[in-house]
Amino acid sequence: MNPLTLYQLVAIMLLALGLFGLIWRRTLIGMLICVELLLNGAGLSLVASGQLTKASAVLGQLGTLLIMGLAAAEATLVLAIVVIVVRRFQTSDSAAVSELKG
Amino acid sequence: MMEILAYAAFGLYVLIIATGGVIAVAARNLVRGLVGLIMTLFGVAGMYLLMAAPVMAFMQLLIYVGAVAVLIFIAIMLVRTGPDGDETRSRSAKEILYAFLGFAAPAIILGRVIIGNPVESVSSPTVVTVKELGKGLLGPYTLAFELISVVLLVAMAGAVLVAFERRLSK
Repeated sequence: MNPLTLYQLVAIMLLALGLFGLIWRRTLIGMLICVELLLNGAGLSLVASGQLTKASAVLGQLGTLLIMGLAAAEATLVLAIVVIVVRRFQTSDSAAVSELKG
Repeated sequence: MMEILAYAAFGLYVLIIATGGVIAVAARNLVRGLVGLIMTLFGVAGMYLLMAAPVMAFMQLLIYVGAVAVLIFIAIMLVRTGPDGDETRSRSAKEILYAFLGFAAPAIILGRVIIGNPVESVSSPTVVTVKELGKGLLGPYTLAFELISVVLLVAMAGAVLVAFERRLSK
């Protein structure tokens, strides 16, 4: 197995753990932690593809920087949403937030 | 000799990432889960170093461990939970089945594709200097750079707006 395949397999492991946790977790914050795992897998895969093949290494690293920026923005928004949900429902349980206003 | 060392370091990082990931997913206490996530982030940073991408390793520590982990910690702090942890509700058999299917299906399909179609890879990657990265950001990828700034600004403004929602409506 060449190095690129090994790195991609680690990225898939992160993807699998993240997806599993996303369904397994009960609280919104637990789900946020799992989304961060997923995004980390994506970043690892991108950098590996840029560094270990003939493709542009700069493009791979800048793409990962973009993912990190998106992860930070996403964490900020989820924090605000969790604050709202806890204020309204007194819990951050994802099953409690199941009613729509209409 | 160097190759064996590289593989040993790789194995160590895989171990760190796997342990941290399992803790992040399975820990009952959310703070422990967060510590597991941070462990994984350090492992991935080590992998970036191994791939000769020190700038990315630095950014990983700066952005993820420095900013995102602190944000998640504040979120945990803002949510008051009972004394027996955050994830105490039991799961039905159907949910457990879905969780396992949800991670096994993509992992098996993607894993088969990657192992079945190996791409030619370079064993010794070249180091990308900060200068080259900066030239990329100000040259061909200016639009992406500006857009991510806008996204971050909008996310921050939106977060403030959403969190003050009640006061606005009164």
